[in-house]
Amino acid sequence: MHPSDGTLRRALDEPIATDAASRDHVATCARCAGRIQRMSADAGAVQAMLVSRDPVVDVAAARARLARTEAATPDGVSAPRSARPVRSPNSRASRVMAGFAVASVASVLLVATGGAQDFLSLFQPSQVATVPVTAADVRSLAGLASYGTVTGGSSITFEPEADAAAAAAAAGLGAPAVADLPAGTPATPRYAVVSGGVVTFTFDAALARTAAARAGGVLPPMPAGLDGSTLSVSIAPAVVVSYGVDPTALLHGGSVPTGEAFAVIATRTPTVTSTGLTARQLEDYLLSVPGIPPGVASEIRAIGDPAQTIPVPIPVDLASGSPVTIGGSRGLLIGDSTGVGSAVVWQHNGVVYAIAGTLTSTQVLAVADSTH
Amino acid sequence: MRPTSFDRLFDEEYTRVAAIARRVLGDPNAPEDVAQEVFLDLHRRFGDNPGAKAPAWARTAAAHTALNMIRSNRRRAGREERYATEPRLIDDPLVAVEAAETTRAVREALARIPRRQATLLALRYSGLSYAEMASALGIGVNAVGTRLRRAEARLRKEVGDASV
Repeated sequence: MHPSDGTLRRALDEPIATDAASRDHVATCARCAGRIQRMSADAGAVQAMLVSRDPVVDVAAARARLARTEAATPDGVSAPRSARPVRSPNSRASRVMAGFAVASVASVLLVATGGAQDFLSLFQPSQVATVPVTAADVRSLAGLASYGTVTGGSSITFEPEADAAAAAAAAGLGAPAVADLPAGTPATPRYAVVSGGVVTFTFDAALARTAAARAGGVLPPMPAGLDGSTLSVSIAPAVVVSYGVDPTALLHGGSVPTGEAFAVIATRTPTVTSTGLTARQLEDYLLSVPGIPPGVASEIRAIGDPAQTIPVPIPVDLASGSPVTIGGSRGLLIGDSTGVGSAVVWQHNGVVYAIAGTLTSTQVLAVADSTH
Repeated sequence: MRPTSFDRLFDEEYTRVAAIARRVLGDPNAPEDVAQEVFLDLHRRFGDNPGAKAPAWARTAAAHTALNMIRSNRRRAGREERYATEPRLIDDPLVAVEAAETTRAVREALARIPRRQATLLALRYSGLSYAEMASALGIGVNAVGTRLRRAEARLRKEVGDASV
């Protein structure tokens, strides 16, 4: 039986919430594939209409402003009449799922396994900036893979390891250890290693024209040297240390954990090599091809020089990111103060660390500070 | 992690409330006016210990208040000047004009579609999960996807029809 529109729509944003029967059906049903495509197109269009940078607010100044207003007008101030009390939204399930949405995005930074990741790993900039994205956007970006051929991604594997020593031996990198765990977190971690590899994307003009036509558009003129140019991302093995969740089970459709859960990931900084074009040329061209959500493209363009700053996709659910310092190194904090989910990414001595899970931003920073 | 005091609720939710208003208004300046209005009303209704329901109330109120602002055309003259004109995004005057027109068309479409649909879109695209949207709107989580699908198709049609 075909899943309902509601089930398919949610699967675009929260795939982990989709039941296995629906996933299996959709994987083989052309009709449902068409439905998803139409939904994704509508969602992408609406996202482009509504996307905007969050306002920069000074909360302390805002609180002072409110206090002044209240002091001046104790009664009778115009106020919203239409809103009504509602139940608490912050269910455990939503926190866990949102947390793993963050975790999955953090993983994108570290493990290139698909087209979107190739796109987002193009350069080795020294700064990061956030771009709010929906799952539909990520699908659109992943469509870039059809503009050429990708090799090497399938060789990347995820293997559980018995303990920290085994993980370190397999990865060639010490497993990070967390000294101070948040209250309520199971004390015993699980270990796993994501194998490294070299993923190479080769731009193919003929494939690109076909893909563009399928997306309902025409390719803009290609800069000289684009056809046949290659981009290779060399990824080192990554150690994954997880608390309160079994990532292997989760990857195979297992149940969502019910407690606090987070993962610490460490890998040596990926290296990128390319032929031909400059970072700016590549970015300009890729952002102009059919199928790229306009809102995402304008956000990425607004960030500036792609050789200096990499656009980090974060779920629109958590559309905020802020620079932080971890052990003297610059990093990026993604998340909010509600405990829905937070992540922090930083580099130190040539190693990229990421921590993500169902933690508040305060907790995730405390975990990062006690990680060594 | 639920707020237990108004001050803590303010610190934790003010930015989110302003962000929801930002999505609805498309205006980088007015969201804080909405956020102030929401928290003023919230404080009056719930007092100094607003409890667990207050964050969801504030988020829904942000969407409703911002939609009210569009529909009543309050601040219209000023807002139209500012629509989508963040200078770091747009250097070309012609592009800036087109962007402002698009932004205005989207806001007008948001004001035309059913209020529940516009609210749902504001909540979704400013960050709520499906479970959070279900709680905020008082509906089952399974209904959220169905309604979101309809709302997205409706808004896209409204904007498309308006631009033809």
